[in-house]
Amino acid sequence: MSTELNETQTEAAQSPAELGGATTVGETDERTRAEWVDHEFDGDAKIAVEDLNVYYGDDHALTDISMEIPEGSVTALIGPSGCGKSTFLRCLNRMNDRIGSARIEGSVRIDGEEVYRDRADLVELRKRVGMVFQQPNPFPKSIRDNVSYGPRKHGDLDTTFLSRLLGRDDVDEEASLVEEALEQAALWEEVNDRLDDNALGLSGGQQQRLCIARCLATDPDVILMDEPASALDPIATAKIEDLIEELAEEYTVVVVTHNMQQAARVSDQTAVFLTGGELVEYGDTDQIFENPESQRVEDYVTGKFG
Amino acid sequence: MSGATEYDLVREDTSTLELGAGATVGFAVVLFGFGLAGLFELVAVTESVAGVQLPRLLGGLLTLASAALAWFGVASHRGLVPTDPRPSAGVVAATGAAGVWFVVGGLVGSQTLGFGTVGWLALALLAGAVGFAATALPREDLGTTLPVAALTGLGGLALLTDVIGPDWAWSPVGLRATFAAPIAIPIIVLFCSLLVGWAGAKAYGGFGARGRHLGAYALVYLNVLSILGVLVGLLAFVFTKGAPVVVQGITVGPGAGPETTIRLFGFAHTVVWPVDWPFVMNGVSLYAEVSGVLPAIVGTVWLVVGAVLFAVPLGVGAAVFLAEYAEEGRFTQVVEVATNALWSTPSIVFGLFGYAFLVPRFGGSKSLLSGMLTLGFMLLPLVVITSREAMLAVPDDYRDASAALGVSKWQTIRSVVVPASLPGVITGVILGVGRIAGETAPILLTMAGATEPSAAETADVVGGFALSSSPPFVTNPALLEATSALPYQLYAIISAGVGGDAAFGWGTALVLLVVVLTFYAVGIASRTYFRRKLHE
Ligand SMILES: Nc1ncnc2c1ncn2[C@@H]1O[C@H](COP(=O)(O)OP(=O)(O)OP(=O)(O)O)[C@@H](O)[C@H]1O
Ligand SMILES: [Mg+2]
Repeated sequence: MSTELNETQTEAAQSPAELGGATTVGETDERTRAEWVDHEFDGDAKIAVEDLNVYYGDDHALTDISMEIPEGSVTALIGPSGCGKSTFLRCLNRMNDRIGSARIEGSVRIDGEEVYRDRADLVELRKRVGMVFQQPNPFPKSIRDNVSYGPRKHGDLDTTFLSRLLGRDDVDEEASLVEEALEQAALWEEVNDRLDDNALGLSGGQQQRLCIARCLATDPDVILMDEPASALDPIATAKIEDLIEELAEEYTVVVVTHNMQQAARVSDQTAVFLTGGELVEYGDTDQIFENPESQRVEDYVTGKFG
Repeated sequence: MSGATEYDLVREDTSTLELGAGATVGFAVVLFGFGLAGLFELVAVTESVAGVQLPRLLGGLLTLASAALAWFGVASHRGLVPTDPRPSAGVVAATGAAGVWFVVGGLVGSQTLGFGTVGWLALALLAGAVGFAATALPREDLGTTLPVAALTGLGGLALLTDVIGPDWAWSPVGLRATFAAPIAIPIIVLFCSLLVGWAGAKAYGGFGARGRHLGAYALVYLNVLSILGVLVGLLAFVFTKGAPVVVQGITVGPGAGPETTIRLFGFAHTVVWPVDWPFVMNGVSLYAEVSGVLPAIVGTVWLVVGAVLFAVPLGVGAAVFLAEYAEEGRFTQVVEVATNALWSTPSIVFGLFGYAFLVPRFGGSKSLLSGMLTLGFMLLPLVVITSREAMLAVPDDYRDASAALGVSKWQTIRSVVVPASLPGVITGVILGVGRIAGETAPILLTMAGATEPSAAETADVVGGFALSSSPPFVTNPALLEATSALPYQLYAIISAGVGGDAAFGWGTALVLLVVVLTFYAVGIASRTYFRRKLHE
């Protein structure tokens, strides 16, 4: 059914455009598909996804996704709404397991270790693969407690009553950690005088940045961001984009965005998902935006379709 | 209506008229409050004020209000008052009017005129039909005001002309009861002022949509007023009856009060209270000038504390399991039904359970501990139900966020879910404590001691703790002794007539009320604290 859809679209797209050689766009798609698996990049593959399929009940949300994500880079996921970007992102830290109707097939390896083994330690996985959600979801706690929540629960910060009694408290350490994380998320300026206020009292955009700070504070290896700038003004967005580029020196960042310019600005690789949960093209960002191999991708990134 | 007023040159007049309708409403509210106060004997309606008998005065005021109402309706119909009435007052209003007229017609037919069943029924039906027609058929302004004015005018005139006076009494045929003026007059006033308030508010709004809105508003408002009135009246009633007993013989000054020895694991410390409050600090005693309820107060407080300490940890634990770990399905449904059924189980059944199961296991005689556990079992289902609801209401977003940070499920429950659900849990405990603190039946069966406990029979739970060298290592004889509790003592006083007169009972009731309200206050304060923490 989806091939049919492709063909009609292809014809419609082709008719006004140059119809050069005998190769149809459908064949180009096939060719690129073969290329993704050994997509060339410098360094090791941090995340390797192979033949990933996700179903929500009978709904096939992701189809045969294979891609490798290099360490210390920014990968952008773009595509129209409902094409499965969030679903893909949630597969990488197994958050989809929490959705009752979701069924996942295929393999995801992080540092060469299979994430979908039966005995995988989800807590450890999610410590390593942090996530910023599409909807900001701070805890109903103070701003400080939100940021230090992860480290405390991991035992990296000891600020319990007992340790305070024993004079072993990590209050200073907590303060510097909170400051650093909020600073990175471009929120410190706005909230440094009210760290004890409840986080639910922040604006939507502030909450979003708080969630980024909360994720950074746990110091993961991989950071998954689902539209981290969707509720931000241009200035805060620019700061978040700077942050993403900065993060890429230490971390591996995967970011979903609806904003093509943003994807073009911040990412090293771009993956284009299209309706039906297919990964249509994956490659260097420059190449995807300037010279995509797939006609559908070209239409999408130039705004003709999507 | 505003359009009409804008072009009206004689604005003064209009606003005076509006003011008149508004004043009628205000008038109705005052009369309504007066009726309520009369009903609870806070105001003696059969007395005279400045030489005028109160019923006559009320009757006059009602008549005046109904005349104003009728005049406003007619003036609106004639176009003297700019209003915006609909063609009819509507079926709802007409049905209400029909009901009211039916009752009034029936009462007048059967009681005043002495008709037989057929006669009064016919009259009632006729009156109902007339009421319906008179409300539904004319334009809204007339349909709203005239039937109400007629009815309240009737009531007002009956009072004014002494047809229903201070000595009036009504013994309904076939009922062995008598309704005297102190009940009947407040009810008539309440009822008429409710109607006047509704119609007056509609008139004030100029009928139409705005008028209906205001009319409904007045009804709702008066309804709330009456509920509050009933509550306040009840409290005031208990207070006026109980307070004189409770405050007897209070003296203040250093050394005025009794000595108390506070013991804990063998250490003792004696304090002399700077206040002497006999009713609260004495037991029942022939030698004391004023007998008091100290053992019962202490018994009730320990009962509630024990039941809460027993039920809350267990209940919250069960709720955590049900809300967080158990798969939603057949099992949780069964548990839900079972807990609901347990909560609705009559308290005497719990009492019997305690009597048959707990008492033999704790030394074979009734004891404080049996009472605590029995009430704890009663409290448990409510704590489970409300805690589970509160936990299910915690958004999944929090759980997802916590999981995505690599935090284990148990830590998430402890640091996110339970704190977020605490206000709901506390609400459940508050409701439950309100119920168990006043329970009599289970106490009767499981822990009740003397009906007239002396001060020496006060349970010394704190001082009772002692260490021992053999298991269970900590013993507390106070927990294993029978003691009294406020509702139980109250019941004993009233039903058996022992230990004093009814006044002593009212004093006990007032103290019980204050103890329960204190528990409430503590609960509500802590709930507010935790809510603040979640949202501010
Ligand atoms: N919890 C769920 N249960 C059932 N179906 C779901 C669920 N979450 C997503 N889906 C379906 O999976 C498909 C992909 O959804 P997904 O949220 O991954 O899209 P997306 O690319 O992130 O879209 P957007 O850009 O709007 O966020 C959609 O068709 C959606 O309806
Ligand atoms: Mg999404």
